Amino acid sequence: MSDLYDDTAAEREMATHPQAEARKGFFTDTTLCIGCKACEVACKEWNQLPADGYSFTGHSYDNTGELNGSTWRHVAFVEQLRNGATPQEDEQQVVRADAGRWLMESDVCKHCTHAACLDVCPTGALVRTEFGTVFVQQDVCNGCGYCVPACPFGVIDKREYDGHAGKCTLCYDRLQDGETPSCAKACPTESIQYGDLEELRTRADARLEKLQREGRYTDASLYLRDTDNGIGGAGAFFLLLDKPEVYGLPPDPFDTTRDLGRLWKHAAYAALALVGVTALAAVGTRR
Amino acid sequence: MSTTDGRPVDAAETAPTTASYYGRPIVKPHVWRWYIPLYFWIGGTAGAAAVECVCARMRGAHALATVEKRAALLGVLVAPPLLIADLGVKLRFVNMLRVFKLTSPMSVGSWILTGFGGAIAASTLAELLGWERTSRALEVVAAGFGPPLAVYTAVLVADTATPAWHEAGDTLPFVFAASGMASAGAIGAAFAPPAESRSARQLMIGGAIALLAAGRAMDNQLGELLSEPYRIGKGGSLRRASATCALAGIVIGTLGRKNRTATRFAAACVAAAGMIERFAVTAAGTQSAEDPKYTVESQRARMQARD
Repeated sequence: MSDLYDDTAAEREMATHPQAEARKGFFTDTTLCIGCKACEVACKEWNQLPADGYSFTGHSYDNTGELNGSTWRHVAFVEQLRNGATPQEDEQQVVRADAGRWLMESDVCKHCTHAACLDVCPTGALVRTEFGTVFVQQDVCNGCGYCVPACPFGVIDKREYDGHAGKCTLCYDRLQDGETPSCAKACPTESIQYGDLEELRTRADARLEKLQREGRYTDASLYLRDTDNGIGGAGAFFLLLDKPEVYGLPPDPFDTTRDLGRLWKHAAYAALALVGVTALAAVGTRR
Repeated sequence: MSTTDGRPVDAAETAPTTASYYGRPIVKPHVWRWYIPLYFWIGGTAGAAAVECVCARMRGAHALATVEKRAALLGVLVAPPLLIADLGVKLRFVNMLRVFKLTSPMSVGSWILTGFGGAIAASTLAELLGWERTSRALEVVAAGFGPPLAVYTAVLVADTATPAWHEAGDTLPFVFAASGMASAGAIGAAFAPPAESRSARQLMIGGAIALLAAGRAMDNQLGELLSEPYRIGKGGSLRRASATCALAGIVIGTLGRKNRTATRFAAACVAAAGMIERFAVTAAGTQSAEDPKYTVESQRARMQARD
């Protein structure tokens, strides 16, 4: 089963792709994000996705809440006061003047190298494209919903209005025409950078090195840039200033397929136990 | 909770307060409606019933074998409508057989259910036509698909990022197998003639005991933190209801074994225990996905154990 796991890796899938190109991706540098949500809106507009209703979360400037079947970019807003508290915790003291810092991060599908959603999809609706991205074929998906709990980032979701699963396509249609995905195109600060994954990794390394050298963002780190994590690296990776969970991201994401061999092994033991106990109950009885 | 090397991790080792993004979930809870846990129970019961059918047949307990076979047939007649009803695009249920995909337990399970259903239906047809040897051969085929049918759903839910499911992967198949066995036994105990139903009653009581034991094993595997969704909230309530039904079934089924009414009441208790356990697992999974602390703390503990 470990062979199975290897076979799901993006590199292998792309190696057998008839028209494979260089793997494309996003590098989202959160130090540059100004929280304008242009990426969210550009994505909605280009991909013709409906709004998520008109409710207010009360979570700072974030009224989007989460990524889901019809929201493929989500800007997270975290305000941290200098005393370490959040504004909510600090309501009594009203130390707003003691402004700390804003963390803003535009979240998106990670287009994992080991993509759990793609692995568990029973219909083959989820595929790896020639750009190394993970794509839901809307004309194949039957809305079984298995990909939803499988995703380690809570990205993909089943839509009520058409019954399909939906998530970021990395603007597959634009990529086929050699265009930039709409979110990256709309981003005014180049917080969202699009390009060949290898080049983005080099660029991210240089950026991290610069930030640390200048001493302003000593707590900066690259999230999902490397391949030695549970998803084998991401097609969309991030420069973060705090722990991943502060942004609503898992600290140690994994592709559940990694453990599938062990799961089936224990299921086989349970199946044998079922046969054994049933046979024993029969043999131990005269009728 | 346990680490990758299987070492149980004490909740006290993890950070006391968990950072999160406004307490919002990190992973999404499953979106299945009640049809799916009900199918888990019906499919598991049908699978175990096919095994009991063949065991009874070999002993010459033909009335019991027929009862179990009818239960299995009923199960495969009810299962597809339940599964299709939950799909977002119902007419595309045929896409479940579009590919055979080893990395998808749902794909593998669709083929198991198809093989099982085909064998039971064909066996019943052969029986009606009077082809006894064909019918019995097909019963054996169905009994071959039965155990995988009873346990694959445990692999299916464990093969997700849902903490209370994924980290229970080694023990959950035993919970599901026990639930199937207990329920199949209960059906035989309730409906087969008393002269033949003794083995079914033993299977019912043995299955109910196994269900309680497997549940304990699962709690141990999950550890203090991740077994919490099985102890509190809806998951906890359902879990206690299942255990109560199982205990009642064991006691009444043992003491009242000479009494037909008592046996049937016990059978209803045990079958209910098997069914409610599936709903408990489903609810606990939702709870563990909705609170980010389960995701973050189990992953942090894993990282700590690795370093």
